[in-house]
Amino acid sequence: MSGRVRRLTAVLVGAAWLAGATAGAQPGPGFEAAEIRRILQHGPWPPPASPDPSNRVAGDPRAAALGRRLFFEPRLSSGGAIACATCHAPERAWADGRPRGVGLAPLDRNTPSLLDAALHRWFAWDGRSDSLWSQGLKAILDPREMGASAEHVAAVVGADPALRCLYERVYGRGTGGDAEPVLVGVAKALAAFVETVRSGRTPFDEFRDALAGGDRGAAARYPPAARRGLRTFVGPGRCSVCHVGPHFTNGEFHDVGMPFVVAPGRVDGGRHEGIKRLRGDRFNLLGPYNDDVSGTAAIKTRHVEPRHVNFGQFKTPSLRNVALTAPYMHDGRLATVRDVVRHYSRLDMERIHTHGEQLLRPLRLSEAEIDDLVAFLETLTDPRATAGPPPAAALGFCAGR
Amino acid sequence: MEERRGPVRRAPAQVALTGRRVLGRLALVAAAWLAAGTGATLACEAPPGFTARERLITKDVVVMFRTVPATIEIGRHFSVEAIVCATPPTQGLRVDAQMPEHRHGMNYRPTVAPTGDGRYVAEGLLFHMPGRWQLVFDVERGGRTERLATDILLE
Repeated sequence: MSGRVRRLTAVLVGAAWLAGATAGAQPGPGFEAAEIRRILQHGPWPPPASPDPSNRVAGDPRAAALGRRLFFEPRLSSGGAIACATCHAPERAWADGRPRGVGLAPLDRNTPSLLDAALHRWFAWDGRSDSLWSQGLKAILDPREMGASAEHVAAVVGADPALRCLYERVYGRGTGGDAEPVLVGVAKALAAFVETVRSGRTPFDEFRDALAGGDRGAAARYPPAARRGLRTFVGPGRCSVCHVGPHFTNGEFHDVGMPFVVAPGRVDGGRHEGIKRLRGDRFNLLGPYNDDVSGTAAIKTRHVEPRHVNFGQFKTPSLRNVALTAPYMHDGRLATVRDVVRHYSRLDMERIHTHGEQLLRPLRLSEAEIDDLVAFLETLTDPRATAGPPPAAALGFCAGR
Repeated sequence: MEERRGPVRRAPAQVALTGRRVLGRLALVAAAWLAAGTGATLACEAPPGFTARERLITKDVVVMFRTVPATIEIGRHFSVEAIVCATPPTQGLRVDAQMPEHRHGMNYRPTVAPTGDGRYVAEGLLFHMPGRWQLVFDVERGGRTERLATDILLE
């Protein structure tokens, strides 16, 4: 839907609601036209699939099938004990439920959910990766995560008949020779699978679409507390300034007043460090493995530069399925959604004035308003988000290996 | 290098433009502007096929620009095509944007390339929040920099 059509729809819908409320047919949602416009911006959901142009096997079911196997394959790690799924467990909404991740060693940051990960512009809390495939590749190589090498990965794939068969089908070549292209091929197949990890519709989506379509009966099923919380979210809370769009994130980085001291004498530089790592990464989109010949995918990478203000910034997370992905924030220090809302309600302005966004100010919410905002955030939950991985494609080849 | 800010004359009634409103009004605005006479000392006409989103004018600088795509969306990269007419002639152009109320700019540094005849293409812009953005053109000429700016309200 074009912006102009969306705007017109919002105005008409608002007018219709107001007319209905005046007539007393049913209680309207009490939203003004401007609020309705902002609510409608958070949909429709799900968005159409958009395979990553930097990954030539994105959208290929054979690659996704290979990636699916690799995702649950602990032999990819050094020592054979850690798979991608160890930290990104499907039954935990593709996260791990821990404050901070634990691979071969403890990590400094919370494990992000992989639900809808393909929609992000940058990957990891600090945006150190500019593609889904290069982020997965880093996790394989990181000594604290899977601790593997390109040679190890190529050997594992080459020695397993089923993996080798799938790899050859996807890429039309074997796993011999230089190991680095095989590592990249594995990472791109993993990304092709993760692109299929998508969340479904939520109670909020039903309400949003009812609002868009003027379906008063359907909209009336949305709980009053969630409705009040939604009004705070798009209104005085200004949450939707950053948590914007159908994915409930602007995909960028902000300092929201969280401490960035990891341990005495050690700080987490956040986005500042992420940009430096990105620029030094031979697997970024300016490197030799970007398959996008149009050059469009690398525009973001070509135009990002570290600045002082990036220090202590972390990526705005999506709020879809937020109720399933505790604990919260980049270091997992907040245990519940309620704790996160309280954080924004009581922001440390002294800390914010030093480094943070001028946008932020304490919301000073009452307990009832906190309840409402939490109630709204809980309606962003897809009831099937923890149901497990998407079904494997029936390929008809490489079977029985 | 001297930086001189404004006063900047914009096309009439275009203090704040939304990406979704502007195109519908653009033809009327341009027609009214031309009918009234610009009052600028510079003659600066858009070449055929160039539909300017807006025209920014100081005493001896005119910047006409359009965005590609025409509608700016939150979180989507866009580019700016600009035509600069100036006396003395332009030696260079920088394009940037900021959110004055939030006291921050974009998270990207645009690159600007001249394409000849006072035309430039700026790439790599991205507005990552709704609200008032100020799109800034720094025109370098005669050893100094002159800033022209316009507001874009993104909802």
